[in-house]
Formats: sequence, structure tokens, C-alpha cells
Amino acid sequence: MKTLVCYKLVPEEEEIEVKRDWTLDLTKAQWKIGQYDLNAVEAGMKVKEESGGKGDIVVLTVGGEMVDNSKLKKAILSRGPAQMYGIRDEALTTADSYTTASVLKAGIEKIGDVDLVLCGEGSGDIYAQQVGAVLGALLGWPTVNAVSKITPGYGKITVERSLEDGVEVLEVDLPAVACVTTDINIPRIPTMKDILGAGKKPFTIWSLAEVGAEVVSGSETISTLAPDQTARLKIIIEGGSEESIDVLYNHMRKLV
Amino acid sequence: MSKAQTVLVVAESASGIAELTGGAAVLGEVTTLIYAGEKNCAVNAETAYYLGDLRDESFLKYIPAIISLVQERMPLLILVEATRNGRLVAAAIAAAVGVSVLTDIMELKAEGDQILGRRMVYGGAAIKTEKSARAVTVACVGVGVFEAGKEQAAGTVIALEPGAPGIRLVEKRAKEGKKVNLSAAKFVVGVGRGFGNEDNLALARDLAESIGGEVGCSRPVAEEAKWMPKEAYIGVSGVMIKPELYIACGISGQVQHMTGVNASKTIVAINKDKGAPIFEKCDYGIVGDLKTILPALTKKFKDRR
Repeated sequence: MKTLVCYKLVPEEEEIEVKRDWTLDLTKAQWKIGQYDLNAVEAGMKVKEESGGKGDIVVLTVGGEMVDNSKLKKAILSRGPAQMYGIRDEALTTADSYTTASVLKAGIEKIGDVDLVLCGEGSGDIYAQQVGAVLGALLGWPTVNAVSKITPGYGKITVERSLEDGVEVLEVDLPAVACVTTDINIPRIPTMKDILGAGKKPFTIWSLAEVGAEVVSGSETISTLAPDQTARLKIIIEGGSEESIDVLYNHMRKLV
Repeated sequence: MSKAQTVLVVAESASGIAELTGGAAVLGEVTTLIYAGEKNCAVNAETAYYLGDLRDESFLKYIPAIISLVQERMPLLILVEATRNGRLVAAAIAAAVGVSVLTDIMELKAEGDQILGRRMVYGGAAIKTEKSARAVTVACVGVGVFEAGKEQAAGTVIALEPGAPGIRLVEKRAKEGKKVNLSAAKFVVGVGRGFGNEDNLALARDLAESIGGEVGCSRPVAEEAKWMPKEAYIGVSGVMIKPELYIACGISGQVQHMTGVNASKTIVAINKDKGAPIFEKCDYGIVGDLKTILPALTKKFKDRR
């Protein structure tokens, strides 16, 4: 079974700065693998382990120049996948969910013979929770989201979906797309050996033309601006003495 | 402003049906509803398509039927309840019509002949205003965005047939334990990593009980430490709360979390680390050990009763 895991490179949100006109400055932010995608990679590794170590795990990302960043390539490969694929174009830096899914689809078709596509719950930056589901629909494959458990089978997988009111167990024929929840597993932390080994693993970077895809947006962004923060009093009481707890309680009792 | 003629609403909870049809009435002329749950929950729609109570069937089995309806009726505005099933069906509709879904919108409004949605991005560091690139708008809408209209039973109710190749339901298990409704709570106590171990959570529960509140937590508490269920986690990718009072205990104050509590009227922070970012974002803060402070506060609130 060949499992392909999609991931996105995103800026560290704690390092995004707000400019005077309330627009965002991303230039000082470090880039990282979307935190929710790490669960998808780990889920892929677990599927392989549960299939008796058989099968390939490959990863695919689409984006701007960061796609080719060697530190980030090592970071994803150190988590276990055998090979990394990337589709790089500056226009993909701000791609919406429809564009991202269409380009991923082109990449998956070029890679070929993929049985299972895994995605995280949502991207670490925009978190629309759409790409995996749109990708599945575009591929025309059975698609499930909110997946909190995957058991590989012969030509199918059995999944548990965590819904608001309970759990749903489904059998899904392959090829299929599954979007996993953030609590499906705890992603492993790569060892030094994993990181060194990652540098020797193969990677392929394609242009949009090479996969035969183009950017056709499904939405238009009007603006992306820092929100108004609610003004807070910021009255700080030092120390946990009985008196200071009294001071805090006196503020609180008026509110409850 | 010109209203969208037909608005299609897809919802699976009674409150979702009421609120989304309320929004549909503001943004359009005629409402068509696709719904699941109790059959008599269909309100404020000319035509309603029923998926059943879904006790023995998966919502996913109805996606092909929903797509056919969309293609046949060609509504210009589609509002989908932001449940896990809702997100999946919204994506399937969006793929079929070639648009991106406006997800988790905080606000959806018509400006001229376009419909604009606003939502949070970058873990709450920014708000993005966007619109569909085509004539059709698909939006995924959470609780509290629209107001429910005056309820009026739906016109015709038509049952939809399930059928999706490649997916079979094996079983359904209802969730155990009581449902916590954090988004509706007046008082919320937030648990962070600062509790050190799971046993200390009793301190937060006691305080919440003394003020008639609920207990929520930060992401690491639910997902890494697993001291609390995922439903209790407050933040952009979890529950967004708007209580009168939020008491953050042992929580450092990451953007993700703080955006989820930004709508709280008053924020109290209890943390032993004086440099914790939460002290920049609270109304009242106390620098000290929560193991001393929480029991002391609990006692004071209990004694008052």
C-alpha cells in the first residue's frame, strides 16, 4: 500500500508582526511544518507499522520557495517518510483551499499508484479544514474527515470518525482520502539519527507546469488585518499571600 | 443590495437549522433546507429534504444526493452548519462548483452584489475578509453567527436516499458522559499545563463549582497531556468562548488560546511565572501558586453562598 501524506509549511504565528496599518509582516517569522500535519505523518507511519512494515510512505507539499528549504525538507523526512515531493510556485504561497487541493491532485496523479492520502485536520495558518475534503472530492475517491483511528485492511481501511455526538465506524474502500484529528496520535520526536538519515532521502521538486496544474482560485481575499484586541485593565497582584488573594477576590466577587 | 434568490441551508442540529435558516432569510428570498435529526425540526423553509435521524446511517452516505440537488437547483448561496459532517459536505459542494468554502465565518454580509465573509487566520493573529471567486458562495457557519428567526414549520418535506460508493457504516456509538457547553457558560475556569499533574484538576473543578461555572483547558492539556477531552479545549481550533468571567489558571497565554477567550468580558489570570504573556492580556492577574490560590478562592466563594 502506498500512503501519501499532504503537509503545509506555515509561518510561526507567535512571530508574525503587526504593521502600523494593521497588515501583517511575515518576513521575520520562522517557517515550520503545520502542527496538525504532523499527526497525519504519524498516522501514515502507524498505518505502515500495522501493515507489517510493508508499503511506502511519501509526503507532498505545495507552496512558494519554502518548499525547497533544506532544513524543512529534512524536518519532514526525519519523521519517517521515504520520499518528499514538492510543487513550487510563488503564486502558491497564498493559494486558497480550492487551488491547493487542485494542485495536490495534479501531484498525486503524477506520483501515481497512491492508495491512501492522509491530511491533517486543517492547515496551521488558515485552518479552513477544507483541503483534504476538497482533494478527495476532486479525485472522486471516498473521503472521510474527523478520523481518530485507522485500521488498514485488504483494499480498504476501517476508520473511526469522532463526531460531535459520538463515534462512527466506517469501512472505506481504497483509494481514499482521510483527514485525521489532532488527537489520533502523539507525533514522534525525531532522533539525531532520524535527522541525519533524512538528509540522504530522495526529494523531488516540480513546477506547476511539470505537474500540469494551474492556479485557479476559488475565493478572493479582500484583506488580512490584525484584529482589534479587547482593552484589558492589566491589574497585576504580586505574590500568593492571603492578603493578595483577598485583593483578587474583592475584584472577582463583583463579577460573580 | 440584491438578495440571493434561493439559499440552500444544510444543517444537522435543531439550533443549526434555526440559526442558519434565520441567516438565509436575511440574505435571500427563498430557503431550501437539507437537514438531519428529528423530522419535525424543519423550520423556515419552503422545501426541506430530510436525511433521517442518522442513528443507523452516516451523513456521508447522503453527500452524492446533496450534490445532485445542488447541481439541479443551482442556489447562489449555500450555508452549511460547521459540524464535522458539515465541513465535509461543504467541501464536496465547493469542489463540484469550483469555489473555496468560506469556513468558520464570524460574519457573513451582503455588500452590493457580493457576499463577504470574515474569519480568523494565523491562529487568531489576523482577520481575513474574503469572497467567493464565482457567483456561488458556500459558507460554513458555526453557532451564534446568525440569529434564529421566528419558527414556522417547513413547507414540503421530502426524504433523500442514501448511497455513496466505497463507504459502509459498521457501527455508531453515542458519546458517553455529560456534554459540556463551554460556549454558553457564564463563568469558565481554564486549565493549563501549570497544573503539573492531573490530580490537581480537582482544584479547578472545585472553583468552577463554587461559582456555577464550567471547566475548559488549553490545547496541550487536551491533546498532549490528555487530562481533559478535546471538546474542553479553548482556542481558535477548539471552542471559542464568551463568558462574563474567564479565569485562566496555569495558562501562559499563547495567541491561539487568547483568541479563543478574547470575547470574555473579564479575564483573570493566575500564574506563578511573572513573565507569562497572559499578564499582558488580562484584567486582573495574580502572580503565585495556583495550588494555594485556587482553594483559597473556592473557599471564599463557597462561604459567601
